[in-house]
Amino acid sequence: MQELEKLLDRIIQRANINLREIPYDATPVIKGLVPLSKMEKFYAFYGISNYHPLDLQFRHSNLAGSYFLGKCRVSNSILYKSDIRGDELKKKGDVFKFQNFEIPMTRDEGFDIEDSFLIKTLVHNFSHDPETLERFFIKDTLSTHYANIHGAPSDGCFLGPFATVDLTTMRDCIIGAFSYVQAGEIGHMNIQPGTVWVRSPGVFNFLYRYDLDRLGDYITFEPGSIPKGVFMEVAEACKEDFQGIYDRVHLEHPISVPDSTSVDRYAVIKPKTHIDENVLVAQRAFVQNSWLGKGANAQENCYIINSRLTGNNVTAHGAKILDAELGQQVFVGFNSFVNGRPETKLQIGEKSIIMPHTIIDSPEPLIIPPGHLVWGLITKPADILTNSIALSELAAVKDKLTIGDMFFEGSGAAFVEAFEHRIDHILEANGAFFDGTRNRGHAQFNQNISFNTLQPYSEGELKGLYPTIMIKP
Amino acid sequence: MNYDVKDLMVPISEYATVSIGTTLFEAVLALEEAQLNFDRSKYHHRAILVMDENNQVVGKLSQLNVLQALGGETDSQQVDKVSRLGDFGFSPQFVSSMEARQRFAGRSFKDICAAPANLKVENFMKATSAGEYVDENTPLETVIPQFISGHHLSLLVTRKDGEIIGILRLSDVFAAVFHMMEEGQKNQ
Repeated sequence: MQELEKLLDRIIQRANINLREIPYDATPVIKGLVPLSKMEKFYAFYGISNYHPLDLQFRHSNLAGSYFLGKCRVSNSILYKSDIRGDELKKKGDVFKFQNFEIPMTRDEGFDIEDSFLIKTLVHNFSHDPETLERFFIKDTLSTHYANIHGAPSDGCFLGPFATVDLTTMRDCIIGAFSYVQAGEIGHMNIQPGTVWVRSPGVFNFLYRYDLDRLGDYITFEPGSIPKGVFMEVAEACKEDFQGIYDRVHLEHPISVPDSTSVDRYAVIKPKTHIDENVLVAQRAFVQNSWLGKGANAQENCYIINSRLTGNNVTAHGAKILDAELGQQVFVGFNSFVNGRPETKLQIGEKSIIMPHTIIDSPEPLIIPPGHLVWGLITKPADILTNSIALSELAAVKDKLTIGDMFFEGSGAAFVEAFEHRIDHILEANGAFFDGTRNRGHAQFNQNISFNTLQPYSEGELKGLYPTIMIKP
Repeated sequence: MNYDVKDLMVPISEYATVSIGTTLFEAVLALEEAQLNFDRSKYHHRAILVMDENNQVVGKLSQLNVLQALGGETDSQQVDKVSRLGDFGFSPQFVSSMEARQRFAGRSFKDICAAPANLKVENFMKATSAGEYVDENTPLETVIPQFISGHHLSLLVTRKDGEIIGILRLSDVFAAVFHMMEEGQKNQ
């Protein structure tokens, strides 16, 4: 048996040991999900920039097609076409506020990925766990297609395709396909597919669970097979365009962009696209025939096609916006699927919040009013009644609220404030408010990143494994 | 004075029993009747034993089990979905209000209570488990942890050959403990 195959078996076993009490056996799900031949095929790459630490260590790992930026240690792991994006990690001297504590960072924070297998996964943000602020660990973890590990240290977990864990430390958990969890800290939980859960203990709690039969059209994941459904079809349809940008050393995007804007070298920009000032288009984002107004952004694995984003729009990791017109400062959360029709564009009013993992997919004309919170599955105009609420109305909720399949307990005002604050922070971090001198963010800092590539052994026992490498300035 | 389990148990002949196939309403009637004929303790029976065709105890129907039957005709998957909200950190009061809404929405209390009367006891009884049996000669203090750890309201008392001969009720154990506490205070 080749070393790469042994490594995969070992990683699966370690995850299984952690998940034995649930109980869960990841072997039939993970084995064969990515052929070993593909793991041997692609180069890895890393960014060099004056604005981010360069501190990378790779040992006994496969890094096929993965991207690294910042400080990261990877050992005994397989990272397949994943993005390990360290431009939001805490830096030495930063102060982290938690409850009544103000905790100074004594060194730069780094990702520490060990005994894990990540497939097309985004790892971003920083550890919000006050017990491990300088080490964002991902250990004994399996994560599948288009999952997001966002500010979420993980030990012994399994993430299904299009799952997102956000600002949450997780131990020995299963996060089902297309589930979104933001709950601070969770352990030994088996989160069913299609669960959207946002909890701030003692303050508010939001829960929505998809009808699995209806969700199946969009994402289905069964042992022995890659994920299937509309989400995968969107990604597959654009696959060839991405292939082109990986194959070429020098690449010019087909449009010119303002100086205050950053379009990543590994993003796909198709013709008839307008990109305004202070815009960030991250790697693996796909933009076609669309308008990205001032301060808008498109994060990793986003697809923005035939759409208009007026300005200051957040398109969070994995979100897909097709045939839609978004007003000023509309937020589209992680992995959301916002799908209008060419002849009847979906319209979303300004300052509306499309919750993470929302599906809006209506063959009939549909308008989301301004200032609304939207969640769940909307396939016809009538669904808006059971899947949205005016933010002002939600802010007036003092104890509990249920609408359709959504449950809410706690302070609506605190929930709205937390979301609005976070959207503002995201825009700020992405450089949307840059005025030429102040408020620089990712859109300005990430403009001049150089990329180097790394290659694995091409034959022999170590075929597919990358040599031990340490990269420093 | 020391007690063994057999000193405090209610003989099975004095306890409410029904057969599998009995309706909930008939079971509650059997409980009332057994109570009328039982005068050795002021504490009421709180469960009904369910017997199979061989007259063997196969389950217990408690007051809680009867309450669980209310609204039992509603979609159990939906009720289960709501009752699991506690796993996600929702408060017990929130979960209870949501479950009540799921089970009873738009119905009068009378309708809610009348609806399960003709449902069968076996659908709501709790099957007996290994932790619910105790030998008749067990000292009372030995059995107290069994009540506590299993949250039992009663235990099934067996003879050496395994035959169930009675019920040891938490209320009778409590009465004995309280009695001893009183004696202890008097002697101080």
